[in-house]
Amino acid sequence: MTKGANSVILEVAYRMLTPVLLMFGIYVLVHGELSPGGGFQAGVILGLAIICERILTPEDDAKHPLWEYRSVAAAGLGTLLYALVGIFTIAGGGKFLGYSFLPIPAGIGERHAYGMLFIEIGVTICVMATVVSIFDSLGKRGRKDDDSGSVL
Amino acid sequence: MLHTILLTVLLLCILGTGIVAVIIPDLFSSVVLFGSFSFFVVLAYLMLSAPDVAFTEVVISVVSTAYFVTAVREFKKGER
Repeated sequence: MTKGANSVILEVAYRMLTPVLLMFGIYVLVHGELSPGGGFQAGVILGLAIICERILTPEDDAKHPLWEYRSVAAAGLGTLLYALVGIFTIAGGGKFLGYSFLPIPAGIGERHAYGMLFIEIGVTICVMATVVSIFDSLGKRGRKDDDSGSVL
Repeated sequence: MLHTILLTVLLLCILGTGIVAVIIPDLFSSVVLFGSFSFFVVLAYLMLSAPDVAFTEVVISVVSTAYFVTAVREFKKGER
């Protein structure tokens, strides 16, 4: 299958779809406590926007967002954000992820809301980067075989 | 009553697409049938009033279809 912008329909659909996907991902993330949704779903939707871009544009790795090892680094960053919220609650005198002890000047309810929001943001970044990383490694093996002709 | 009939039809669709997806020889057709299988599963979840599970299933089915299509493409590239 030839990659690249050889189809007008795919190109236009990609241009119109990607902003909607990104917007809907953010909506699912911040509205996740009141309605169906949350960090995981938002992360996969944001990752799908990047995967659409990978499928439909020519292969020029350096131009893609989150190329090569950067997706794995971003996944680690999301996990770090999750852990930092937990460590901050420990520093505030509570248990791990005990939101009531989050050291910010706000009421208990707002502390719970902010703690959950930051945790969901961490989960979103981690899932998005992991989805993109899995997609990359699925496509990479055949490309390497084509280039060198060897098994490795 | 209508609910039961609709749910039965959905379950039959799930059964049909699932069985055909397993026994069909062409890999790409199997991927497409698996996508329709998860669509019917999503509708069944919605009828059983579990929108959160349905949303997760939608997202998972879309991303797994993208993975399967890529994997089948790479597989066919290596076969040639």
